[in-house]
Amino acid sequence: MELTASYRFDVPPTALWPLLVDPAVVASCLPGCEALEPVGDDSYRAVLTVGIAAVTGRYEGTVTLADQRPPHAYRLVVTGKGRAGFVNGEATLELHEDGGGTRLDVAGRAEVGGTIARVGQRLLSSASKMMMDRFFDCLRKQTAAPS
Amino acid sequence: MATRLFGSGIRRREDPRLITGSATYTDDLTLPGMVHAAMLRSPHAHATVGTIDISRAQASPGVLAVYTGKDTSDGLQPMPCAWLVPDADLKVATYPCIATDTVRYVGDIVAVVVAEDPYQAYDALDLIDVEYTALPAVTNPAEAAGDGAPQVHADVDKNQAFHWAVSGGDVDAAFKDAEVVVKERIIQQRLIPNAMEPRAALAEYDQASGDLTLWNTTQNPHILRFLNSVVTGVPEDRARIIAPEVGGGFGSKIPAYPGEFITVFCAKQLGRPVKWNETRSENYQATTHGRDHVQEIELAAKKDGTITGLRCTVWAGMGAYLSTAAPGIPTILHGLMLPACYGIPAIKEDVYGVYTNTTPVEAYRGAGRPEATFMVERMVDRLAGEIGMDPADVRKKNLIPAFDDGHDTVTGLTYDSGDYPTALDKLLSHADYARLRAEQATARKSGRYIGLGLSTYVEMCGLGPSQVAGAIGFQGGLWESAIVRVHPTGKVHVFIGTSPHGQGEETTFAQIVADEIGVGADDVKVIHGDTDTTPMGWGTYGSRTTAVGGAALAKAARKVRDKAKVIAAHLLEAAVEDMEFADGKYSVKGSPDKAKSLAEVALMANVAWNMPANVEAGLEASTFYDPPNFTFPFGAHLAVVEVDKATGQVDLKRYVAIDDCGPQINPVIVEGQVHGGVVQGIGQALWEQAVYDDSGQLVTGSMLDYALPRAGRLPEIEVLSTVTPSPHHPLGVKGIGEAGTIASTVAVYNAVMDALGPLGVETIDMPFTPERVWRAIQQATKGH
Repeated sequence: MELTASYRFDVPPTALWPLLVDPAVVASCLPGCEALEPVGDDSYRAVLTVGIAAVTGRYEGTVTLADQRPPHAYRLVVTGKGRAGFVNGEATLELHEDGGGTRLDVAGRAEVGGTIARVGQRLLSSASKMMMDRFFDCLRKQTAAPS
Repeated sequence: MATRLFGSGIRRREDPRLITGSATYTDDLTLPGMVHAAMLRSPHAHATVGTIDISRAQASPGVLAVYTGKDTSDGLQPMPCAWLVPDADLKVATYPCIATDTVRYVGDIVAVVVAEDPYQAYDALDLIDVEYTALPAVTNPAEAAGDGAPQVHADVDKNQAFHWAVSGGDVDAAFKDAEVVVKERIIQQRLIPNAMEPRAALAEYDQASGDLTLWNTTQNPHILRFLNSVVTGVPEDRARIIAPEVGGGFGSKIPAYPGEFITVFCAKQLGRPVKWNETRSENYQATTHGRDHVQEIELAAKKDGTITGLRCTVWAGMGAYLSTAAPGIPTILHGLMLPACYGIPAIKEDVYGVYTNTTPVEAYRGAGRPEATFMVERMVDRLAGEIGMDPADVRKKNLIPAFDDGHDTVTGLTYDSGDYPTALDKLLSHADYARLRAEQATARKSGRYIGLGLSTYVEMCGLGPSQVAGAIGFQGGLWESAIVRVHPTGKVHVFIGTSPHGQGEETTFAQIVADEIGVGADDVKVIHGDTDTTPMGWGTYGSRTTAVGGAALAKAARKVRDKAKVIAAHLLEAAVEDMEFADGKYSVKGSPDKAKSLAEVALMANVAWNMPANVEAGLEASTFYDPPNFTFPFGAHLAVVEVDKATGQVDLKRYVAIDDCGPQINPVIVEGQVHGGVVQGIGQALWEQAVYDDSGQLVTGSMLDYALPRAGRLPEIEVLSTVTPSPHHPLGVKGIGEAGTIASTVAVYNAVMDALGPLGVETIDMPFTPERVWRAIQQATKGH
């Protein structure tokens, strides 16, 4: 499954970047995220509860923010498994200066297996897109919030 | 005159319990102390298995045991393949009940949990941590056979499970001299059988005596008893296999599965009854699938429509392992039928059985014969298009004339009897084919696309004789047995070795016996599906239950009748030669008043106060019947469709089926079998397909994504018949369980292509979803 999307923020990359690599912010914005604990090397142990179509599952896995080039880009590597199957995904996040704000481009691919593939695959890309939208919406709110 | 029950459409005695929900399936059984198993299945299509951490699962509430492949490798031998097709370089890869180092399809079992209740068992599956390292997977059989494809089994080069070939006649000459050659590549897509009852097993093992009782949803309990002894080590005399009510099989319950043997293993280990009931989701991924052929076909002919040769190559997906009977299906049951009802004089087929990272493929209603019929019938229509002849006329030109004493084919079969032209003529006149063609032409003028699809078929069923079974590598016999036991009150128990599961033999077999010995059908109870009470038999598949088991039963009943005649003669103080069985009574010829009923004879036989000299007490007989040949039912089907050019929607407007299964014991049941079979075949043409993604995930993993036929989308099916008795069957009957499926897929396919012909569409891969049909229309009419 391939995913590409673009998001626009009113703050410049230098202001957005710290939020994108802050585990507390990521955990609070990631839908269904129950825990995100650092395990070193920009990696985190994550526990997520995700519902797609008829498949709701609790996934445990790791999230790695690799190849960080602040405030331009990093590679998000996710591996997770749970009752409903497994998810292995990788996405590149690129931040581009855009008229005082930021255009954030996401390009990634994911492989899923287990029940989630059997039952939910048809809805997977739209569900993933929805989760991403919610994540970045949340992030946008945080950038607007008074610090 | 006693009413003859043979031929009477009496109601199925099975139905009240089925439609009121009082039937007892495996999952309805509960035993004291019973616990529940759940299988952990691989989410990967192909992966190596590292460490498996079961500690958290073991500590989970209610869990009694967790076993992995390492724990079961001593107690469970690998799954046997029981159809070892000869001269095919067959490579049976090791098929462990529980995978140890490698998983090869999504659904391969890696562990089993046994817990006090099923929910605890399923919850504990979540707590097993398996370290997988994913490997590249391959799912398409033609790709798997190619260079550089991922290897499903390290010791099977190019994933080639077998290469089987059949040939007859001079194919090279046929193609060299051909005036017309038509070619097509056909995908017989993978199908999911969808029995209403998923698989289930309940095992009870007495650790003191070593006795095992296994309730299992199977089509062949006696074969399962044998295979169970091989895999679990429980000897046949210690194992009782019971098939309670079985909620459909369609071939998917022929094979033995790891699931039931793992259940037996757990019961042996724990000393408690263990039940395993698969979920629908497991059923989709791990109960065998059907079809999955990639076929390349060429037909040679003369310009006048005479078919002269057929040459083809088939890549048959076998899945990750060879299921019990799998190798015989795309070979023996498929290639031998290619001469079809035309007696095609030159045939050459190469079949490559190919391992892929998918669910094992087995028999599915028709099993090999729908795929063969499809190839021939599709090519006949292609030929008709090529030479500008009506498809009905091409068929008429080539059909074998009527015969009643055998027709030899170039593939070595002898069709028993047939009258193919009459079946086709009857179809054409019933449907008013000429009028339909005229209507089609008129409709086209107004932009409506109506299509007519014909399929004339002959199939082989009534699998037997055993000598042939041996020659074709079937690791068993193909005879059948029956016991007819008459009780003192004249009530009858019939014990049969076959194992009906929806086909209605509890009714039709009572009809056979009633006529043969002179009782009412209601006086006969048919008992099946329990290896401790029924005689050995080889199961219900290949439309063989009535064709072979019914013959055994008729012969056993006739033995009872002969003995009853001897006893009646004694009681009437008449000579046996002077006795006759008429109007359901045993009477002295010419003196119908001097007669005994079966009940009177049975009472004397059972009390034995006054028996003829040298005649044993009791009124009972058994038979082992090994048929001299297969039976060859045939028929002609017509589908009428209308395709909406704008949307690609196919509307099946009419379906007419003419089937000849010989004399019909119960025409209502025959009609039901035809209905079900036809609908399953239509399902393949229009809706059904199991789809794997590139990584080997089954994406049609539920009924949300796998489209089954629904009544609302089907026309009333018009069922007619002709009657051509089998010369070698004691009752002349041939079998009807699969005929509908064998004929109908290609009838619908031909109809759709006939509708789209004017638009230039030549081929579409099934199923004909609106999207595919629409795309094909766009492609063909691009720029117009």
